[in-house]
Amino acid sequence: MNRREALKFLAAGAAASALPPQVLAAFREIHANLSQTATLRILNAHQDATLSAAAELLLPATETPGAKAARVNEFIDHILADWYSEEDRKMFLEGLADVDVRTQKLFGKDFVAAGPDQQAEVFRALGEEMALALDAVASAAPGYRGSAPEPGENFYAMFRELTLTGYFTSKIGAKQLHEETIPGRFDGCAPIAPSPQATGS
Amino acid sequence: MAEAKYDVIVIGSGMTGGWAAKEFAEKGLRTLVLEAGRPTIPEKDYSEHVPPWELSFRGMRDRKTLQHERPIQSLCYACEESNAHFFIKDTEHPYTTDPGKPFRWIRGRQVGGRSILWGRQCYRWSDLDFEANLRDGTAPDWPIRYADLAPWYDYVEDFIGISGEALGLAQLPDSKFLPPMAMNCAELSVQKSMAKYFGPERTLTIGRVAVLTQTHNGRAACHYCGPCHRGCITRSYFSSVNATLPAAEKTGRLTLRPYSTVHSLMFDAKTRRITGVRVIDSQTRATLEFQAPLLFLCASTLESTRILLNSSTTEFSAGLANSSGELGHNLMDHIKGGGATAVIPGYEDKVEFGHRPNIVYMPRFRNVSQKHAGFIRGYGFQGESEREGWGRGALQPAFGADFKRAIIRPGPWQFTFAGYGECLPNHNNFVEIDKSTVDAWGIPSLRIHCAFGENEFAIRKDMSIAGAEMLSAAGGRNIRPFMDDDPPGFSVHEMGTARMGRDPKTSVLNAWNQSHDIPNLFVTDGSAMASSSCVNPSLTYMALTARACDHAVSLLKRGEL
Repeated sequence: MNRREALKFLAAGAAASALPPQVLAAFREIHANLSQTATLRILNAHQDATLSAAAELLLPATETPGAKAARVNEFIDHILADWYSEEDRKMFLEGLADVDVRTQKLFGKDFVAAGPDQQAEVFRALGEEMALALDAVASAAPGYRGSAPEPGENFYAMFRELTLTGYFTSKIGAKQLHEETIPGRFDGCAPIAPSPQATGS
Repeated sequence: MAEAKYDVIVIGSGMTGGWAAKEFAEKGLRTLVLEAGRPTIPEKDYSEHVPPWELSFRGMRDRKTLQHERPIQSLCYACEESNAHFFIKDTEHPYTTDPGKPFRWIRGRQVGGRSILWGRQCYRWSDLDFEANLRDGTAPDWPIRYADLAPWYDYVEDFIGISGEALGLAQLPDSKFLPPMAMNCAELSVQKSMAKYFGPERTLTIGRVAVLTQTHNGRAACHYCGPCHRGCITRSYFSSVNATLPAAEKTGRLTLRPYSTVHSLMFDAKTRRITGVRVIDSQTRATLEFQAPLLFLCASTLESTRILLNSSTTEFSAGLANSSGELGHNLMDHIKGGGATAVIPGYEDKVEFGHRPNIVYMPRFRNVSQKHAGFIRGYGFQGESEREGWGRGALQPAFGADFKRAIIRPGPWQFTFAGYGECLPNHNNFVEIDKSTVDAWGIPSLRIHCAFGENEFAIRKDMSIAGAEMLSAAGGRNIRPFMDDDPPGFSVHEMGTARMGRDPKTSVLNAWNQSHDIPNLFVTDGSAMASSSCVNPSLTYMALTARACDHAVSLLKRGEL
């Protein structure tokens, strides 16, 4: 079934819950023309290696693929190039360089060369500092519609937000959330899906 | 250059223009619809099924481009990466405001206008609304009552299809409903608590929404994909593109002319009639004229008024059809920004399946049976509950395999009550032509003078208090009342500036949306509103339009235009 046929089928007033799989497949094909480029525009090779290692430490491959497989580094490079302000980009890259400075200070090597336990120790320190920054703004006025106040300039919070976004908005990440592009029905109290396990992709 | 003649010209192809097109064409009139923007081609322009990984910015919006081209439009939640073309470019459509008095003017210029983008909530007004001006004396009385409009609500609802639940409330009359959408676990829990602690006075119900829950008039039921504001290829929600314009087209009597920016109307002082419309072709900039014996202005609240203000004559020096001096005045928009949010404990083994394009609603309960000491009129709550997603992980220090497994699972159910409050008509909230500011077509733009007053601020404050109180009764945890300073315009429910009324000295339009001054001129969009109610206005605009069309055709047949 091609796109035209799929549309004709839907326009005819077919009940969405009864959509045959080939209609759904046709819809998925409609915009599926991914052309991922691996050319990075902001990150140099070392920055890319550091960021990729850090992203994988945050969201590692487990029974499901991790940040590397979802090419989170490419997404972050794109955001640094075309979305962030110059100021934010500078802050992010300085924060990334600081990850190496910290690892050097503790273990005498760069983050990418450090062992898993050593990388984890650097992350724990970054996490504690982020928590302190959050405590500092906890008494500040809440954000729009009562949202939690954001910490000020904090590389680790920026990195975490971008990595989570890059992962869960990728095809690989979205699959973990059991999201359907065309669910066909609504259930307000559906049973939760089983815990994450190997689903393949 | 004179073009072919028509029986009626409709300016605008959105929510009300689409209805005027359908009604006139079906009643046998050769109908010309002038739309300033480009054609809308659903297969090309709609993007509701594009998953985030196929968007360049993955749902984060194209921040830099939006900031450059659409700094005001992108303040609207619905303006995204894939549908920004449904919003005007602010760079082409400047307007001015007073220092410290922002007005956010959100506009769509394309066939379908903002009916492609609207929130789809549909509520009938009641006599609590139509009698409000009379009761508190804030402004002249409406010239109509609920009974005048009820059959036209029926008529419009039969065509568009509204899903919802009948409650039998006097302050919020029931529509002719398609089956309601379901509430989720947390919403059902709050609904029960409201019934228990507040009784029938505060009823939580599913939103009344122009989204089909079953096949209706050849349009398919909703498939719950979620982002309606990007379009709907199955035509499951109502827009003029999805429903009224195709119906008008079917008659063979519709001429829809996109790229037709209306400059002004032509008035003959001898016959006291509109004789035609001056148009600038949006693409070629050529000047054109179109003529018809009947004119319907459906260009949206402020655009219709802007056209009248730009059509001044020697006699009507302060704007065409403005003998009352009220044209441009009494601009309103619902006040929002007040409410509360909380965690509703429990239901951790349950999630939503599908994306319901609808909210839950609590009808107005202030100044219904008892008088409130702090303000007149009232507000309703839109509510929604959803489980927190992966975004909550950004500010947690944890990382690694266990963190990843935890964050894939949804977080607690968050419930938010967000109020929409009535805004009083106020002569001092007005628009005028700003001759020093012109749009990309050289047409003078508006200077908007608008601010909320004491009554609106008291309403916003009460939204925050009552919202927190109700979430507390519902067993909510971590209750966060909020009072955000959302400026006028931000509800995108702008109303007034050419109000209806009985007296030509104090109103622009009569009880049929017809100009007191110029019999063949009708204005049926939000400009006509004499007060703002607290409920979403589009359904009422549509009912008023269908009613005005019927009246205009009977006048035409009797030779009274």
